[in-house]
Amino acid sequence: MAKRGFSGVVIRSYGARDHEVTVVGKESLAPHFVRVRLTSATLFQDAVAVPTAWLRFWFPDPDGGESEHQRAYTISSADETTGEFTIDMVLHEPAGPASLWAKRVEPGWTIMATSLGSSKFDVPEEPPAGYLLIGDSASIPAVNSILAAVPVDVPVEVYLEQHDDADPLVPLTPHPRARIHWVPRQGPASLAAAIEARDWSDWYAWAGPESGSLKHLRTRLRDEFGFPKSELYAQAYWYYGRAFGKRRGTPEPEPAAAPEPAPAAAAPSGPAVRGAWRAQGAGRLLAPLKRTLILSGALQAVVTLVQLAPFVLLVELARRMLAGAAESTLWTLGGWALGLVGAGTLLGGALTLWLHAVDARFARDLRRRLLGKLARLPLGWFTARGSGHVKQVVRDDTLALHYLVTHAVPDAVAAVVAPVAVLAYLFAVDWRIALALFLPVLVYVMTMTVMVVQSGARTALALRWSERMNREAAGYLEGQPVIRVFGGAAGSTFRARLDEYIGFLDDWQRPFTGKKTLMDLATRPATFLLLIAFLGTWLVSSGAMDPVSLLPFLLLGTTFGARLLGIGYGLSGLRTGLLAARRIQTTLDESELQVRAGPAAAAAEAPGTVVFDRVDFGYRPGVPVIHGVSIVLRPGTLTALVGPSGSGKSTLAALLARFHDVDTGAVRVGGHDVRDLTADELYARVGFVFQQTQLVHGTVHDNIALALPDASRERVEAAARAAYLHERILRLPRGYDTVLGPDAALSGGERQRLTIARAILADPAVLVLDEATAFADPESEYAVQRALDRLTAGRTVLVIAHRLHTITGADQIVVLDGGRVAETGTHDELHAAGGRYRQLWDAGANRTTARAEATL
Amino acid sequence: MIRTLLQLLPADRRRLAAGHAALTVLGVALRAAGAVLLVPLVADLFGPDPGGAWPWLGALAAVTAAGWAVDTAAARIGFDLGFALLDNGQHSIADRLTRIRLTWFTAAHTATARQAVATTGPDLVGLVIYLVTPVAGAVLLPVAIGLALLPISVPLGLAALAGVPVLLVAFWTTRRIGRVADRTAEDANTALTERIVEFARTQPALRAARRAEPARGLVGAALAAQHGATVRLVLLQIPGQLLFGLASQAALVLLAGTTTALAVRGDLGVPEAIALLVVVARYLEAFAALGELTPGIETATTALRRIRAVRDAPTVSIGASARPGTATGAPRIRLERVAFRYADDGPQVLDGLDLTLEAGTTTAIVGPSGSGKSTLLALLAGLHQPTAGRVLVDGDDTAALAPDERRALVSVVFQQPYLFDGTIRDNVLAGDPGAGEDRLGHAVALARVDEVTARLPDGERTAVGEAGTALSGGERQRVSIARALLKPAPILLVDEATSALDTENEAAVVQALADRTTPRTRVVVAHRLGSIRHADRVVFLEDGRVVEDGTVEGLLAAGGRFADFWRRREAATGWRVVSAGGSDT
Ligand SMILES: Cc1cc2nc3c(=O)[nH]c(=O)nc-3n(C[C@H](O)[C@H](O)[C@H](O)COP(=O)(O)OP(=O)(O)OC[C@H]3O[C@@H](n4cnc5c(N)ncnc54)[C@H](O)[C@@H]3O)c2cc1C
Repeated sequence: MAKRGFSGVVIRSYGARDHEVTVVGKESLAPHFVRVRLTSATLFQDAVAVPTAWLRFWFPDPDGGESEHQRAYTISSADETTGEFTIDMVLHEPAGPASLWAKRVEPGWTIMATSLGSSKFDVPEEPPAGYLLIGDSASIPAVNSILAAVPVDVPVEVYLEQHDDADPLVPLTPHPRARIHWVPRQGPASLAAAIEARDWSDWYAWAGPESGSLKHLRTRLRDEFGFPKSELYAQAYWYYGRAFGKRRGTPEPEPAAAPEPAPAAAAPSGPAVRGAWRAQGAGRLLAPLKRTLILSGALQAVVTLVQLAPFVLLVELARRMLAGAAESTLWTLGGWALGLVGAGTLLGGALTLWLHAVDARFARDLRRRLLGKLARLPLGWFTARGSGHVKQVVRDDTLALHYLVTHAVPDAVAAVVAPVAVLAYLFAVDWRIALALFLPVLVYVMTMTVMVVQSGARTALALRWSERMNREAAGYLEGQPVIRVFGGAAGSTFRARLDEYIGFLDDWQRPFTGKKTLMDLATRPATFLLLIAFLGTWLVSSGAMDPVSLLPFLLLGTTFGARLLGIGYGLSGLRTGLLAARRIQTTLDESELQVRAGPAAAAAEAPGTVVFDRVDFGYRPGVPVIHGVSIVLRPGTLTALVGPSGSGKSTLAALLARFHDVDTGAVRVGGHDVRDLTADELYARVGFVFQQTQLVHGTVHDNIALALPDASRERVEAAARAAYLHERILRLPRGYDTVLGPDAALSGGERQRLTIARAILADPAVLVLDEATAFADPESEYAVQRALDRLTAGRTVLVIAHRLHTITGADQIVVLDGGRVAETGTHDELHAAGGRYRQLWDAGANRTTARAEATL
Repeated sequence: MIRTLLQLLPADRRRLAAGHAALTVLGVALRAAGAVLLVPLVADLFGPDPGGAWPWLGALAAVTAAGWAVDTAAARIGFDLGFALLDNGQHSIADRLTRIRLTWFTAAHTATARQAVATTGPDLVGLVIYLVTPVAGAVLLPVAIGLALLPISVPLGLAALAGVPVLLVAFWTTRRIGRVADRTAEDANTALTERIVEFARTQPALRAARRAEPARGLVGAALAAQHGATVRLVLLQIPGQLLFGLASQAALVLLAGTTTALAVRGDLGVPEAIALLVVVARYLEAFAALGELTPGIETATTALRRIRAVRDAPTVSIGASARPGTATGAPRIRLERVAFRYADDGPQVLDGLDLTLEAGTTTAIVGPSGSGKSTLLALLAGLHQPTAGRVLVDGDDTAALAPDERRALVSVVFQQPYLFDGTIRDNVLAGDPGAGEDRLGHAVALARVDEVTARLPDGERTAVGEAGTALSGGERQRVSIARALLKPAPILLVDEATSALDTENEAAVVQALADRTTPRTRVVVAHRLGSIRHADRVVFLEDGRVVEDGTVEGLLAAGGRFADFWRRREAATGWRVVSAGGSDT
């Protein structure tokens, strides 16, 4: 212990365990960069190998001294089950204990390592616009782990500070959208200056450079570019001219920092642009409420103070009684107390009412805005998100906002004001006892810190476990029929997993029971009471204090600990609300479909003609899915899009129905660019039938006549007959006037046919069809197919084909591959040509392109 | 709640729970003693000789220290109970789940059950120590203080004791109203947003029909109309939420007033009166603590409610008899006036169905969706139990069979093939863990799993991933067929996949049905002609009744519902998309 010095003691007191790690190999990745392969039987009980996770190693003193030097290294790869892992180490000059060790190390050597305070990098469900990664050779292992985790379609800018000519030889994890910039170090400011001055809106920045460079980087990223705190992770990986880590053993000599070479005045690469982040969306959404919320906070502060006032009055009462005041003054005090109680309650009630009124108005406006937004978002937005997301934003998040406005803000204010006011009062009365009240709090905080640190990776693991158990339990429930028929083995993995989970919780939490009890005992009123009574007796009996001064402590001091610790809890309500606000604002910020005030195009083409004119499209900027596709669909012909899944056929079809807007090129219907048409003009011409069916709330008649609300019953019936649905409708309890719902439900195939009847009645000249629709439900496959025959007859049809045999009769087959048109022709032509189509035909052996993209 | 909690404790810990309760009461008594010791202590400090307080301080220190010791011991037991709850509670739910009637598992119940096994763990550990103990303490402490005050001042002690129920009721009422208010706000919000969600969900249909703008207007107007009413509803709840705050403040004023009045009348010395003011503050503190525990109480009650929902769910009835040892070979199955409905108030899915399946035959059940085919299969499999009537196997009522006997009877190929996290081999072996290599190989080949494993680097030792997700739907299906074939059960039930994209497995299903290595009675719910063709007999089901029954040829010749079905299926298989030319049929 002694050789690890003070920091060793601290780390030990956190309960961090040392693990013995054995070197099994070493290889050189670059002239000054080695990979050390290690193994440890116990390390991964504490450590988790997640991106950017690192370990503290205790390196021996290079001069053979007693002390050990703590240095951090990133886990560059690991197999948690076998305990094998690697670290990549820079061999720098001047060398330190770690780099010297790396230079000399041989298989068989051992070293101690602890996992304490490690970091982890996560890509959120909705990734940022891009990742800005900054570091140097020492943080390349971390940068590499991030590059491996970032989805391939998210852009990454990597800025690496170069100290050595060989630095660029260090291998980097390839990422298709990463751009690497090496910046020679000219001083602590050169790296920051080299970051491109551009709009970094919605990017996330991760920085692990040298400490001096980091200081300049922070200024540039935060103050100049406007990165919010939540979107910036920064940690110094080493100090220029100074050993970094702690040592244990001999006392640490404070090394004189070597003077840094005079920085060549590096001019920043242009004027900075301040970006705007989704992360700040909450602020924007709540901006109109800001003044109200501040005012309500102030009022709540008053209410809180009024609620504390009776205790102060009690002190005054005692003072008067001791002074032998007249009875009447005592009753005056009582009157005051009653008045304050009444006033506090009234004020509190009024505040709550007022906030509810404010919230109601705000929520109404918000819902109106959301409604308007939803009507103008591109349809692709809905298909990409699914109903779960919409529900989350529209229902759950608006509710969370209600709690934010009406409860969370006042709660937070009360939680902060009460302990602060009590503290101020107590300090004013007697600072000595007031100070002593922090003693139990200190015990609490220290024990808590130790627990947090000891938990280390387990906190993250617990989260993983709970997600995993949720999935496993869902599977176990879903698998019940199987488990009941096959018994034993089929259910045993779940049980084993449950045991593991219980074991994990037990191992993690049981050692903390003592500490938790200590925390509880330290902060309970009885403990404060004893402390106050002891100091009070001492000070009063020695004449150093007026006994009346003790009263405020006895009345308010005992719950001081609980109040102080309540702050954290009081503030936690804010976080949920702000996250919800952020999501709502993000939705409100989504770009809408624009109708261009285009030239009233002379519709030179027949209304049923569709032209894809050199269309490019991608879901994310810079990741094209469709490349320069040009196709002409003649009126009344059938065009089939075929290709392996992911070839872009569904996307291309969706462009015609304007689920998204093209990036370049144009889609024209009857000579009009679809972007020049209003939604109503467009969908009067173009209809679509996909696998998902949407019934609106209402009767069967209403659902069929959706596009023509005034259509007569005869026309609706005719459409239903054409869709082979008439008979079925007649069997519903109230025929065409049946309101569809859980009691009068239609099967999948019937809903499909209802959608087809709707399209037949709407009668568009152009139809986009997903062929999978015809096979969605074997029960009514036949009827759906007949209905489709009626629907497609005489229209210009674009069909997304999953099985080739269904489209052999098409007038034109377009084979897509990687978003490009590979071939075009009829079945016979393409089959004979022996190209891509023939391959698909043969591979499918006229079967199915199995896991077809069933949805858009 | 307490009952649920005690039930979750393993029997050997119940005694410990009693010990814990005793220690908790003792701890509370010590705390109350500490509070009341303040009276002489403070009185001395305010009196002429403050030094007289030292012995009282000593006593206070002793009582507090004793309190620490007792509470530490109680906490140790409390944690121990918590871990026991975790272990026993989780396991008992997992066990229970395998015996609950499958009809109970609606979407909502399934979610509850999932949360009960997956997320209540950490809550259970802290249940006793963070909840039961503090709540008991908060309720008992004021009572104890009231009792301890009686010897000092009867009126004050009585007032304090009388205040306990009043304050508790106020607390409970406020909490209840708060909960109602939360629910009202939530319901109001749901009502208001439901139409927006609906509007979003139907966007493609609305836009294609050029109805998006009018619909938006309608929804907007409806929202505006609804808005006022719901807001009023929420506002009405507010006054009730202030009740507890008001009550405790009033109690403070009243008790302090009583004390003062006693002092003014000379019944109490001034120093004693002041000391009593401090005790009054202590008394109220306990109620405030109760308020702080509320969020914890909510979490814990939610957790316990979920667990209770699972524990109270209806279980399948269990018989005890065994099939006679002589029963070998394929059995004869008889359904006798079988009726079934999913919910007590739901519609009859099957109503008085009579059907006999001769030993060793293969029967195809055909019919439109909702005709009761899958229900029938589930009844045969023993997954559901008839609400009336009997299912007989070789004359024995299956309801009377012991669970293991019942299970040994049937093997099933499910539509949704659930695989557990293990290798392909393990999953097939789940059918018969003791099977030898030759039988395993036979099943694997019949189900064409060998085609799948041949493509995989690890062969049959490939891990299928959580719930089999590492395999495609079709591959999972084949593994599940092999598993069913391997199980040496005399009844084989096949629920053919409806998804038309899985046609690749049709051949595997047909082979499985044709396999004669084990004598079996087979039933297949069929959608495809291939599998129907292999049946000795076709039963056409409609609205839970048999409308046609005969051989494939016989029924085709008869030209009824089945013939119709057959013709349509044949036509559907060769369908092609057509355009200008119109229908090609
Ligand atoms: C969280 C974290 C993770 C890390 N992961 C890695 C990793 O995976 N791989 C890795 O190589 N490093 C990594 N580092 C950096 C490494 O810990 C430091 O470089 C450390 O100072 C090296 O120790 P040393 O004993 O070799 O030199 P020290 O005794 O610390 O210093 C000796 C001299 O070397 C200089 N020096 C220190 N580091 C460098 C350097 N990188 N380049 C040039 N000069 C230097 C110092 O300024 C000093 O003058 C990480 C650091 C942190 C904080």
